[in-house]
Parts: sequence; C-alpha cells; structure tokens
Amino acid sequence: MTPTRATLAGLAGLVALVALALSVGAQGFGWGDGGAWALLRAPRVIAALAAGLALGVGGAAQQAVFRNPLADPGLTGVFGGALFGIAILLGIAPEAAWQRAWLLPAAAFIGALGTSGLLVLWGSGGSTARLLLTGLGLNAFTAAGTLVIASRSGESRELLTNGAYGDWLGMATFELAWLPILLCLAATLVLLPLARAFDLLAFGEDAAQGFGVDVGGARRYAILLTALAAAAATCLVGQVAFIGLLAPHLARAVVGPRHAWALPCSALLGASLLLGADTLGRGLWPQAPLSAAAVTAVLGAPLFIWIARGRHE
Amino acid sequence: MSETLVEAVGLAVELGGRRIVDGVSLRADAGQVVAVVGPNGAGKTTLLRALAGLIASTGELRVAGEDPRRAAAQASARRRAYCAQKPACAWDFRVRDLGEIVGAPGAFTEWLARLGLDELGERRLSELSGGEQKAAHLAMTFASLAEPFGAVLLLDEPADSLDVARQVLAAGAIRRFAQAGGATIVATHDLSFARTCDTVVILAEGRLVGVGAPSSALTPAVIAATWGV
Repeated sequence: MTPTRATLAGLAGLVALVALALSVGAQGFGWGDGGAWALLRAPRVIAALAAGLALGVGGAAQQAVFRNPLADPGLTGVFGGALFGIAILLGIAPEAAWQRAWLLPAAAFIGALGTSGLLVLWGSGGSTARLLLTGLGLNAFTAAGTLVIASRSGESRELLTNGAYGDWLGMATFELAWLPILLCLAATLVLLPLARAFDLLAFGEDAAQGFGVDVGGARRYAILLTALAAAAATCLVGQVAFIGLLAPHLARAVVGPRHAWALPCSALLGASLLLGADTLGRGLWPQAPLSAAAVTAVLGAPLFIWIARGRHE
Repeated sequence: MSETLVEAVGLAVELGGRRIVDGVSLRADAGQVVAVVGPNGAGKTTLLRALAGLIASTGELRVAGEDPRRAAAQASARRRAYCAQKPACAWDFRVRDLGEIVGAPGAFTEWLARLGLDELGERRLSELSGGEQKAAHLAMTFASLAEPFGAVLLLDEPADSLDVARQVLAAGAIRRFAQAGGATIVATHDLSFARTCDTVVILAEGRLVGVGAPSSALTPAVIAATWGV
C-alpha cells in the first residue's frame, strides 16, 4: 500500500472510530438522551484525539532526536516530569491552578522540559541502555515526587493519583481542556516540518551537520516541542506510556521510515490508539471504565519487550 | 592555474584537553585528489572533521570559498560534503530514499550506478552488505553537492568495507569528481591508493610530517620513520 493510500485509510478508520467513541456512554452503546454525545462525550473524544496526535508525533520526534526506536516520552520520564510539574503547582497553589487556564499547562511544560533537559544531559550520546536507564531513573524520581506531594495534599490526592494512572480523560470539558487541546494541535503541526532534519539526523550528528542541518538548533527545537506535546497531552490524559512507542513503530511499518510520512502517520495512529483505548475501556466496563493508559499498556508493553529483544539480539 | 578549494594554515584541534591536530597546513586545488595518510591515531579523521567544519578548530581555514566554521550549515552543504569511515543509519530506509533525503534523487541514481549499486535502489539498507551500505552512503555524499565544479569532498576511508571491484569503482568516482572541477581529500590507510593521488599529506601524532607528490613524499625512508616498518 502506498503511503497516501495508507494515510487515507487511516483517516477513514479514525472517522469511524470517532463515531463509535461518541456512541459509547455510561449506559453502553447509544447516542444518549438530551445530546449527551455532544455535551459529555465530545469533549472527551476531542481531548483523546488531540492528546493522541501529540503523543504519537512526540514519540516519533523523540525517537528521531535520540536515533532510537525505544525512546518514548512515557518511558523516558518526560510525562512523569509533566505530571510532577502539575503536582508541584497543585501542592504550592491549588486554588490558583484552576483560576488561570494557562497555569497547569505551563507547570506541566516546565516539568517536561526539565526532565527532557536531564535526559539529554545524562542519557543521550550513548547506548539504548543508557537512555532507558536514565529515563527509568527520571521516571522513578518524578513519580516519587508526585506521590509525596499527593500524599501530603488532601485536596489533590485523588486527582494526582488518577493522573499517574492516565485516567483524566473522563474529566474533560471544553472549559478545562481547550488550551491543552490547542497546544497539542500546535505542537503536532509545528513538529511536522522537521521531517527532513529528522531524516538526516538518522545518519548521525556529523553526517546531518555535513548535509546542512543545524543539529544543535534542530535538536533543541524538537526537544522543546516534544516537551510541549507531552505537557499538553498530560494535562488531558495524565501519564500514559507506550502510545509514543507504539504509534511511530506501527507508522514506520506501514509507510516506511521517511519522516515526511512517518510523522503525520504517527500522529494519526497515536490519536487512533488513544481514542481506541479509551473507547475500549469505556465500552467494556461502562460503569467503571478502564483508563486509556491501562489499555495502551496492555498493548504496548509486549511490543516494547519485542523491540528491546530485537535490538539486543 | 587551478583554483584553490581547500586551504588550511596552522589548523589545530583540541579534544578533551588533548591536541589531536597540531598546526597542520595543507591545500587542495580544483581537479586534485589529496590523500591524508598516517598511522592509527595520527589525527586523520579529526583533521577531516575539522576541514568539514564539524568540530571546533583554530587556525586559518577556507573550504570552497568560505570558512566552514562560520558558514551557514545549509549553504555550505551544497559546496562541501563529508562521509564518515563507518556511516550508520538509525532507520531502515530504502536505498533510493537516500537520494530523496539529500534532495538530489537524479544525481544519487547516477552516482549509485557509478558505484555499481544501480539495481539495489528498492532494497532496504538492512538488506545490503556492509560494503554496499558504505557505497550507498558514498553515493549520497557525492549527490548532496550541487555540482562537482568548485566543490569539496572529504572522505574518511572510502574504501573501508568495499570489495576490490567496488574499490576500483569508488576510486574512479573520486577521480571523475576531480576531473569535473572538484577537490577531494581522502583519509586512508591504503598506501597503494594514496600513490594514485595527486598529493599525499602525511600525519603522525597530529603533526604534518610530509607533504608532496606521492613519489617524493612516500619514500621508503618516510614510511619507515612514520609507520616503523
């Protein structure tokens, strides 16, 4: 299948998935009473789509920057950093966090950027093991920090715990989610033109620079945008691993590794996977939905092990 | 008189507090192939990377009419190209993708044919042998230049991993590039190849220990003093 056909087929599948997602409610399948699909489900579906786009393209971007198919902002601590940023804000100024729409995304962005910076400093330029171990350490540190704040903060405990389990989509309303949704879309769109630089980075820093890429600038820009994508997606979903791993991996399998196709395809697949996971979690257990993060982990963890084993061998 | 395309005067590179290249001066004119030879650790790769503007260096440097350390990366990429000794790729591109990635699919196909890989365009890089991969990267490097005339190629061990037939093809492609008005500087351990070049630059411990035509520079006495054999 050509990349164009594959992308068109993916878009058609996503439209069908959106219709299915809008028809799944707390009472099972159906459009619900009084426009429930538009009032209650549409914000959740749009939030899942936007976050999925950002997670998919963010994962592909991080893999391109680190030249490593196992790089995933969920596994390398960037989402953990975003949630930790939110936790610090909620711990310090819980009232202010809800009064200004930009404060939560800003805190998440600072947290994500901080962990991205540490990942570049300590984890890049070496083996896959070094990258993942650094990510593991950052994940553990940020998770511990979030847990400490959650345990000390009566008001935010449940919220932060749900965030750590990637279970925030159910809270989505347009009033709460409009800014992170816009940020997800913006980060996705601004990352797409980096496709050529990402292609050339695949040949190593010397080669990319030799072929005309401002390597330092492209890497900084990509890391900044990946942190923005991760922060905005975390504000919508909470911490969710494996979408950033699964989506680019599947995209490369379908349309090949050229980033001009792999980036938009990763975005589409990220949106499909997250929305599909959320819809599956709601459809199978309407009264007590399983979080999107739990569903994606069930799919993503075996793939992670499979890729890691392949690379090791 | 041919135009000078590469001129370095007193070029020096320090990495990790060690002086790897120490005051090297060299030049390459349009139409020339220059071999940089020397024992392991002599600083050949570092010198090539410095000439390409990929690492910080001191001293005077002009490559294809500009100082690559100050030139905009994108503009200078059309006038000078660098291929590492062991090029690698993180993703499993098709061979023909390499030409599209450097924005010159037509030129890439031509150089691919000159290196004997014209039937491998649809293969994935992982399906090629080490030598075929190296040749594909060489074709990509050749194709990345706008045109050979007035351009500079910096190749680190281009014959590394190539079989004898493809070594001959690569040497022919390098000579063809020079004949079209470009200059090539090749870091190599292959003294037989170096003897076919126009100029040989001999390095030892980062310093220039000899330069000139192969017949005068690569004498048994110089080889014995430099390599100890």
